[in-house]
Amino acid sequence: MALQLRRDYLNQQVLERLSTLQLHARLPMIGNVSGKHRSPIRGSSLEFAEYRKYVPGDDTRRLDWRAYARNDRYYIKEFEADTNLRMCLVVDTSGSMDFAHAPSATTDGDPDISKLDYARRIAGTLAYVAALQGDAVGLYCAGKTFHKEIPPKRSATHLSIILDELGAMEASGETGLADVLHETAERVPQRALIVVISDLFIEPETVRNCFEHLCFRKHDVAVFHLMEQSELDFEFDRPIRFVDMEGGEPILADPTVIGTQYRRAMAMYLDSMDEVILDTEVDYHRICIHENYGDVLARFLLGRTPKKHK
Amino acid sequence: MSFLQPFALIALPLMALPILIHLINQQRHRTIPWAAMMFLMSAKRMSRGMARLRHLLILLMRVLAVGTLIFAVSRPLSGGWLGSVGLSKPDATLILLDRSASMEMQDLQAGESKRSTALKRLTELLEQGDYGTHLMLIDSATGQMQEVDSLKALLNLPVTGASVTSANIPAMLETALAYLKANESGRTEIWICSDLKENDWDIHSGRWNAIREAFAELQGVHHFLLAYTDPPSSNLSVRAENVQRWQRGSTAELVLDVIVRRTDGHGGARQVPIAFEVNNVRSVVEVALDTLGASLQGHRIPIDGKLSSGWGSVSLPGDANPLDNRFFFVFSTPPVRKAVIVSDDAKVGEAFRRALAIPTDIRLQHRVDVIPANRVAEIDWENTALLIWQAALPRGLVAEQVMHFVNTGRVAMFFPPGPGGTGEQLFDSHWGNWHFSGSDQVSKLSWWRGDADLLAHVESGDALPLNELRTYRYRMLESLGTPLARFDDDAPLLNRVVTDRGAVYFCSTLPTAHFSSLERDGVVFYVMLQRALTEGSLALTMASQRDAGLGVLADREQWTSVAPEEDTVSLSSRGLHAGVYQDETHWVAVNRSQAEDTAKTSSVEAVDALFEGLSYRRIDVDVGDTSALASELWRIFLIAMALALILEAVLSLPGRNIRNGRQEEGLEGTSLA
Repeated sequence: MALQLRRDYLNQQVLERLSTLQLHARLPMIGNVSGKHRSPIRGSSLEFAEYRKYVPGDDTRRLDWRAYARNDRYYIKEFEADTNLRMCLVVDTSGSMDFAHAPSATTDGDPDISKLDYARRIAGTLAYVAALQGDAVGLYCAGKTFHKEIPPKRSATHLSIILDELGAMEASGETGLADVLHETAERVPQRALIVVISDLFIEPETVRNCFEHLCFRKHDVAVFHLMEQSELDFEFDRPIRFVDMEGGEPILADPTVIGTQYRRAMAMYLDSMDEVILDTEVDYHRICIHENYGDVLARFLLGRTPKKHK
Repeated sequence: MSFLQPFALIALPLMALPILIHLINQQRHRTIPWAAMMFLMSAKRMSRGMARLRHLLILLMRVLAVGTLIFAVSRPLSGGWLGSVGLSKPDATLILLDRSASMEMQDLQAGESKRSTALKRLTELLEQGDYGTHLMLIDSATGQMQEVDSLKALLNLPVTGASVTSANIPAMLETALAYLKANESGRTEIWICSDLKENDWDIHSGRWNAIREAFAELQGVHHFLLAYTDPPSSNLSVRAENVQRWQRGSTAELVLDVIVRRTDGHGGARQVPIAFEVNNVRSVVEVALDTLGASLQGHRIPIDGKLSSGWGSVSLPGDANPLDNRFFFVFSTPPVRKAVIVSDDAKVGEAFRRALAIPTDIRLQHRVDVIPANRVAEIDWENTALLIWQAALPRGLVAEQVMHFVNTGRVAMFFPPGPGGTGEQLFDSHWGNWHFSGSDQVSKLSWWRGDADLLAHVESGDALPLNELRTYRYRMLESLGTPLARFDDDAPLLNRVVTDRGAVYFCSTLPTAHFSSLERDGVVFYVMLQRALTEGSLALTMASQRDAGLGVLADREQWTSVAPEEDTVSLSSRGLHAGVYQDETHWVAVNRSQAEDTAKTSSVEAVDALFEGLSYRRIDVDVGDTSALASELWRIFLIAMALALILEAVLSLPGRNIRNGRQEEGLEGTSLA
C-alpha cells in the first residue's frame, strides 16, 4: 500500500527501512477482520493449532480421517485464526515533553529536538507501519491542557488524520497520563496494543497502577520512556534558576550543592521504575532522545517478532 | 601577637573575597526550563543536611586560605606577651641592663649566665623588629647612658660585660627618665633585664613613687621587664671580713673571718674546701656546710713577720656563679688610733680622754691628745683619726682644715661649747640656746637608730642602754643632718651630717654629770666614741676593703693592679671588677658588696606593683633558656593555608559527585544515547 507522506517529522528512509518489518502483538488479539496477528479464536488459517474430540454438531468436513485410521476415534483438526491489531498510541503532551537538550551553564548550545518531537516521530512511524500491515491505529494525547482522543480505525484517511494530529500536538501544562491510561484501559473494548510514549515524570507507583490496569484488561502494553542525557547527568557549575515546564514554582539551586542528591533521587526513581516493569512485564524501552529513532523502532519491532514465526 | 609587616594586615578584608564571589555567583544565575522538577525538589530536600554543611566548609576553607596568606605575609611573631607591643615602631629603645654580680648566675648545662642570656635573647628579638632611631643602653655598673650603634655591638661592648657591682634600678630609671624628658622622645620601649634582687631594686624606696608619677606623665612609653625569677641554683659564695694583721715578736699572723653562704637553702650537709692564698702561699681548709652555709671565725694564717702589708684571697671550687667564688682582701699593720680633743673645759676633756684611751683590743695602740681651742694649730691632722671639738665652731682656716680632715675619711664630733658660741656655723649646722630641765626632771630619749651607725646594737643583737641615759642640759641644734637619737621633745641628741666621705656628728649634750649621765653610765659613751675612732682610723690604714663601683678607685691616680693575675680590664672599668690594687703606700681590695651575697629576690608581685598604672609587661625567663623570645610564625600560616586549600580541594572533588558518585547512585551505564 502506497501512502503519500505529508509530514516533515517522518523520515522517508526510516519508513522504507521499517516497511520490511512487521509489528507483532505479544498477546493474541481480537480483531474484526483477517490480519497478521494471532487470535484466541480458532480459525481457518494454515497454522495448525490442535486436535479436539468430535462432538455431535461439528462439521464432518473437518474430521481428520488419518487420525481415525490410526486410533479408530474421531478427531476434529483445528487451525489458528489470524486477525488484525488495534494499536492505541498514547502520547504524553505535558509541558515536560517540550524539554530538549539543556544548554550547560558554560556552553550555550542550540537546543536539540524535544521529547515531544521524538515522540511524534516514533508515534508517526509506528502508525505508518501498523497501517501498512492493515492494523487499526488510534491516538490519545495525554495532557491536561492538550487532550485528544482518536479511536483506532484502519483506513488511509484515518492514518492521515492521526499524522495530522501528531504534527499539531503541543506540549503544555501538567501531565494527564495516568488518567488517560486508566481511561484507555476501560474504553478500548477489545484487546489492543497500547503504546505509551512519555517521560514518565510521575510517581512509579502511579505508573504501576496504570500498567496493571491495562494488563488486567488483556492489553499488550509497550512503553517508550524518553529521557534527555542532561536530566541524568545534571552537570552544571553555577547556580541556575530552574523553571518548571509544567507550570510549577521555579527553583533557584546551586547544582554543585545539590548535584549529588539530584542524581541519587534519579537513581532511586529508575530503580523503582525497573521494579514496576519487572512486575508488570510490559515491553519497556528507556530511550535517550539523542538516539536514532529508526534504530530504536527497528529494535522494538524485531524484539516483538515471535521466534516460531518466520 | 605582633607583626613585622603590620601594614599587610590592611588586606585582611580580602578574607571576605570568597564570600563576595559566592554571592556574586549566586546573582549570576541563568534561567533554564527544566522538566525533571520532581528530582530537583527531592534533591533540595535532601541537601539541607550534610551537603549544605560541606558547602559551608568549602567556603570557610577558602576564607581561611586567604586569611592565613595575609597573616603569613605580615610575618607574625610568636609570644603571647608580645600582644601588648604596639604595631608602630618605637622612636627609641632603651635597654637597662643589670650587671650586678648575681646576674652572672649560670645554667651549668647551657653555660650561659642570666646577663648573657638576656642580652642574646633581647638582641634576637630586636633584630626581628624595629628598635627605632635610637638604641640606648644604661648599664647598672656605670649608671651612664650611651647610644649603641648596632645590635651586634651590644653583645661585645665592655659596658655589657660582667661586673661585681650592685645595681641601682631606680637610679637607672631616673637616668632613662631624664633622657626621655630631655629628648622629648615619642613612642619608647624600655627593656629592663634583671634578676629582681632586693638590693638592686630597693622596692621600699620613696623614689619609686616619683619615678612612677614621672613616667605616667609621658605618653607612649612601654616598659618590659625580662625577669629571671627562677629559684637560685646550688651556689656558694665566700667572703672574708675583719682581716687583721697582728705582730707577735718576730712573727706575724693574719686573723680573719670567712663566711660561706649557700643559696639553694635545702641542700644536705657536706664538706667544702676553702682555699687561702696569701703572699703566693696556698692553703686549703675543709669546712662543713649546713643548710645556710658555714663560717670560719678567727681563722689564723701565719705570715712573714717582715711582711707589713700585702694581699690575699679566699676561694671556693667553681659553681653556678663564678664571680662569688673568690674574695680578695688586703692587710697592713694597724695604724695608731689617734684622737684629738679640743676643749677648754679640763673636766670634759678628761672625760673624753678616758673613754678614748682604753683600746677595745690590747693589740691596738691608742693615743689621745687634749688641747685647748687656742692651740688648734698644733693638731697633727694627717695622723689623727678622730677629732672631738667641744668649743665654739671653728671659722676661717681652722674650719677649712676640719672640712679637709673629714673629706679625707676621718671623723669629727662636735659637742656644745659653754655659754655663747651661737653665731658660728659649720657643715650647715650651728648651736642654739641651752635647754635646762627642771630640778626634778630629766630628758630621756624617745628614739634612736639601732640598726647602724654609732648607736647600733651590739653584735649579740642587744641594744645599747640608751633608755637609761639621763640628760639634764642639752643645747638646741640647728642642722640639716640626720638624727640618730631624739629626746621626747624631738630635739636631737645626736645628728649625723651627710658628707661625701668621712663622718661629722653633732652631740647636743656633754658627758659630765652636770649635763648628762653619759660619763657616769659609761657604756653608751665609750661605745659611741670607740666606734667613731674605729671609723676614723680606717682612713689611716694602709689597706682597705671597698665595694665595687665606678668611682671606688678615684681617690688615687697611681693604682696598679696586683690581682687577679690575668687582669685584662681597662683602667676605666677597674673598679667594676674584683681585684687588688696598690700604689706606693696603700692597698685596696675591690669585691662585690655584701648585699650581693645575701639579698633575696623580690617578689614579682611587689615589682609589678612598682609599675602600676604604667604600660608594663613582665616576661619571666629561665636562665640558660636560649630559645628566642619571639619567632616568626609565617611558616605555620603557610602550612595552614596549604591545609585549607587541600581540604577545600577534597571537599570540592568533582569525582565524588559525578564519576564515583554515579556508581554509588546507580547511574553508571545510564548514558541512554
